[in-house]
Amino acid sequence: MRTREVVIAVSVAAMVVLLAYAIEVGGLGPIAPQRIRDLAATYLINTYNPWNITLSSLSLEAVTAIVWDYRGIDTFFETSVLFVAIVGVTSLLRGFREKTGLSSAGLSEIVKTSTKVLAPLILVAGVAIALHGHLTPGGGFQGGSFIAVLFILLSVTFSLDYAISYGISSRKLLALRSGGLIGILVTSLALLIASLILGVNSYIFQNMAREGAPLSMPSWFLDRPTGGTLIWFNTFEALAVAAGISLAFLVLSLREEEVEEALGQVEWYE
Amino acid sequence: MSDPTSLMFTTIFICLTVNIGMSLYGIFVRPSLVKKFIALTIFSDTLNCFAIALGFRRVVGSYPSIAVLAALPESPEQLSQLASTAVDPLPQALVLTAVVIGLAVYMFLAGLILMYYRYYKTTHVEVARGGRVG
Repeated sequence: MRTREVVIAVSVAAMVVLLAYAIEVGGLGPIAPQRIRDLAATYLINTYNPWNITLSSLSLEAVTAIVWDYRGIDTFFETSVLFVAIVGVTSLLRGFREKTGLSSAGLSEIVKTSTKVLAPLILVAGVAIALHGHLTPGGGFQGGSFIAVLFILLSVTFSLDYAISYGISSRKLLALRSGGLIGILVTSLALLIASLILGVNSYIFQNMAREGAPLSMPSWFLDRPTGGTLIWFNTFEALAVAAGISLAFLVLSLREEEVEEALGQVEWYE
Repeated sequence: MSDPTSLMFTTIFICLTVNIGMSLYGIFVRPSLVKKFIALTIFSDTLNCFAIALGFRRVVGSYPSIAVLAALPESPEQLSQLASTAVDPLPQALVLTAVVIGLAVYMFLAGLILMYYRYYKTTHVEVARGGRVG
């Protein structure tokens, strides 16, 4: 056992030295080049380009434009992977039932009061990050994770019983999660449905007008740019991610008593 | 190696490779599944940092003001100026996707480790094979 660990340690150290040497001599290409690739320059120029709307997504933030417009189908399947993982967790831990009166009554009064002060700030910050995804760094996933932190904080400081007594259940969270995914699907098909009614061509995940597909999503709300589909994608993604991570936390934090009751007599190892 | 920017980037990249080595050692050698899980998250975060650092761009001379579109651009020249100073956005978008998928995988793994602990009353990997702890 001892020699095995030493061999692993030495080979990992050798790998680190070789990798560091390869980077040092430029094996991965120049470190921090002065010019970026043409593809990156294309994205930067076309992300918000009202003078060439057939290539643009009218979003001031290039990363959100790439994630939800230029590579939208990628991101749709990525969200589906998150959904499937949550379904996997809930079916893996299917002994879960919402029961009250099992766990403690949460943390001390000081922690509860400071959480009450923090909770609305966290919610507002999360929603702002999600809805400004096309203007500033951030987006649906980041905002949704932010809001999920609120749920985790509340269920730790006020105890899980408190959250459950307020009517939060895994069934409702799963419904909210699916609702977010359906919203993303509807947004991606919105222009396609509109074009079928109007009798023109259109693409799936279309945001702004493209060559041969003249329809565009509304990209202005009063005097604010909305990035067309991007604000809808970010909203639904934030909803889906917040509900999904909260659900995973709810299921993963189930109480030992419930598991033993659900599994019945478990054959323990020795 | 003479200018400070090169030195800084070389240091960052070597630190990242050291991080990779340490996290791989943790995955291979630590017997506890929770420790393996933590090492795996460190490994994936290091690779994400690598990808972001590869998209970075060096500016010769003094750095310009922050290269983002802080207001709506008024002319196409402003856009080409942005493209001449901003960093590559593509690695950041790909890392965002990787982070989301990583989160999904880790949630599933955490559930598996929890079930393992409840069944065997330990997170030691050898126990499932019928081995002895310690």
